[in-house]
Amino acid sequence: MKHRFEPLEGRNAEIIESVMGCEEVAGLSEDIRFKIRLCVEEVEENILCYSGSTWVEVEVLRSENSVTVKFSDGGVEFDPLSKEDPDVNAPLEERQIGGLGIFLCKQMMDSVEYRFENHRNEFKMTKRLK
Amino acid sequence: MNITINEEDGKVRASVCGRVDTTNAEQFLQGVKPLMEIEKPDIEIDCGELEYTSSQGLRVFLMLQKAVSAKKGSMVLTRMRPQVKEVFDITGFSNIIRIV
Repeated sequence: MKHRFEPLEGRNAEIIESVMGCEEVAGLSEDIRFKIRLCVEEVEENILCYSGSTWVEVEVLRSENSVTVKFSDGGVEFDPLSKEDPDVNAPLEERQIGGLGIFLCKQMMDSVEYRFENHRNEFKMTKRLK
Repeated sequence: MNITINEEDGKVRASVCGRVDTTNAEQFLQGVKPLMEIEKPDIEIDCGELEYTSSQGLRVFLMLQKAVSAKKGSMVLTRMRPQVKEVFDITGFSNIIRIV
């Protein structure tokens, strides 16, 4: 599956459903689908908040042992992986919500990669299939 | 996403069902607002039908827990599904919000 979403604003639900409904993801286990849904939402939300891009290209690739989701956007260079992980042991009073989405993504996927190339933010995440 | 709230003998029982995500987190926040306004909170939230939450939903649970703790009340989340529990575990939210 490969699709370009433009404009980007307000398309989150549509982007998630197009990934969840594509043939590469449709037949996966409930557990893997949950994780993909969550990570797609978090990455997408991150792009919307920080990149300022008016579009995003989403591609899903499937091999026998893994599924990969790639995001590409034309916004300002922003590496979500450069942010410090949130302190998950902080007491209630000190808890912040920022950074949790990408942290969840790092924990739930088997690999996450970011690069800035040809004026594009490229974010790639892969989940191994059992 | 749907939230229902019932009160009986000072104890508040709520239940949330469906998915909480970026599209409806604001609606979820409005839905739990009455729980934040209770004077002496003693709240049980049934999460058995909560299918999914992203960080946007966690944000609301955090705001709710902070409001309850500020009034020295108690809140417990029950019957949480394993995948949703994992989201609370990974982020350490299980340490600051009581889940049984």
